[in-house]
Amino acid sequence: MTRAGDIEHTAAGWLVRREQPDWSGSDEAALAKWLDESMAHKAAFWRLEIGWEASERLAATRTPVLQRPRPRPRPMVYAMAVAASLLLVCLLGAGALWVRHRQSPELVQAATSVGALKRVDLVDGSRITLNTGSAVRASVAGGDRQVWLDRGEAFFDVSHDQRRPFTVFAGDRKVTVLGTRFSIRRDGDTTIVTVEHGRVRVEDSAASDDQRAAVISAGDVAVARGTSILLAKRSDQWVEDSLSWREGILTFDQVTLSDAAREFNRYNKRQIRIADPRTGAIRIGGSFVARDIDAFARLLRTGFGLRVAVDGDTITIIS
Amino acid sequence: MVDDNALRAWFAKEVLPFERDLMGFIARHSRERDDVIDIRQESYERALTGARAGLPASARRYVFTVARNVLIDRARRARVVSFEQIADLDSILVDDGTRSPDHQAEARDELRRALAGLEQLPPRCREVVRLRRVEGLSIRETAERLGVGLHTVERQLTLGLRALVDYMHGGELRIDRSPQRKPHEQRAKR
Repeated sequence: MTRAGDIEHTAAGWLVRREQPDWSGSDEAALAKWLDESMAHKAAFWRLEIGWEASERLAATRTPVLQRPRPRPRPMVYAMAVAASLLLVCLLGAGALWVRHRQSPELVQAATSVGALKRVDLVDGSRITLNTGSAVRASVAGGDRQVWLDRGEAFFDVSHDQRRPFTVFAGDRKVTVLGTRFSIRRDGDTTIVTVEHGRVRVEDSAASDDQRAAVISAGDVAVARGTSILLAKRSDQWVEDSLSWREGILTFDQVTLSDAAREFNRYNKRQIRIADPRTGAIRIGGSFVARDIDAFARLLRTGFGLRVAVDGDTITIIS
Repeated sequence: MVDDNALRAWFAKEVLPFERDLMGFIARHSRERDDVIDIRQESYERALTGARAGLPASARRYVFTVARNVLIDRARRARVVSFEQIADLDSILVDDGTRSPDHQAEARDELRRALAGLEQLPPRCREVVRLRRVEGLSIRETAERLGVGLHTVERQLTLGLRALVDYMHGGELRIDRSPQRKPHEQRAKR
């Protein structure tokens, strides 16, 4: 093999091993050392890493057929089996929760009301920022660090501890932290994971036998719904903007008025209603205080010349 | 001094999108496929080292100039190369970089390209890459499912990753042979 071939082979080996579950902090240090040895190493490694990341979109091609190669039982039997296992899961879940409640003082529960923002410090040094109308439970007892995002949205700043994996369960999704800072939002049956720093692994909660995962890194957004995960690459600025809620700010970049109103409605008791779909399609941009829905409505009136009517807790954008 | 994050971002956004063109350029002026990869690697290494002092205004022009210098240095070192070839290289005009990478098209292309790249891999290698990339299986899980050793999986994955990345950066080295062929390019065909 040529010199370039050797370097590339070594770089590919690093890349492959870095994605494995047993990748450790000392592996990470060894990789950093190898990269620092020469610009040739960085050139080869970055080239492979960038190309490999670009192929990440393949994860979106998963189909249910690929995921469940086993023959399906007949529908009725299947439904009963599902019902039975759900019941079992519920019982086990309730039992486990009850046991945790009784035994571990490290079980933390926190929730926010509409418009509120709350910071939760865990005993391991990790911090959770809860957005409006959200709830989490966290258990940092023993060898595991587990968090359940029961509803809403939360940002996680995870303290590094390679011996204790940090896992977030969001509905039927499981997000395992390989890096440090990311947010998860639940919206109906959709889970959206945005990574600010480091890398996380997104998979089905139930995936134990037949594990399928997408590893996403800083700047990536994963939108998981049903059996599919869509990945998108975003700019650092986009990620930063989408996380501005941590300062109580909503940042929009050319989103439709409907989408912006929906965002505001998450943070306020007073709700914006848009009477005319054509008005809802207007695109707007800018930064706003999430809880000041009135200021937003005033801006629509003065800035866009829209007619706004206020009736109790409902703000109607007429046209 | 440009830090590593900025350098890597520049490499990803401004340099790698031109890899296909760069490979075509190098292939037209060298003989062996192995040489092409060596020259590409050396060009990237020199380009990154140089860019650390400050990112150049036109990445395309800069990288092609670096590659041209690598080609000239190599031709001078290689004793069997005719003077004619060096003269040829000296007269290469690096194009002016008016084209800029179409980032949006690149992004749209990625999935299509990744799928096509996957198809190009030999069957076993393809399955290993698919299980990792599409299904998200670890090496251990892949080994268990396919009933082969960990070492085999790791090796296949490493090879598959390299081949797929080649594909992601501009296709299976389909060398673009433009009309104005020169004698030594004919030799480079193999």
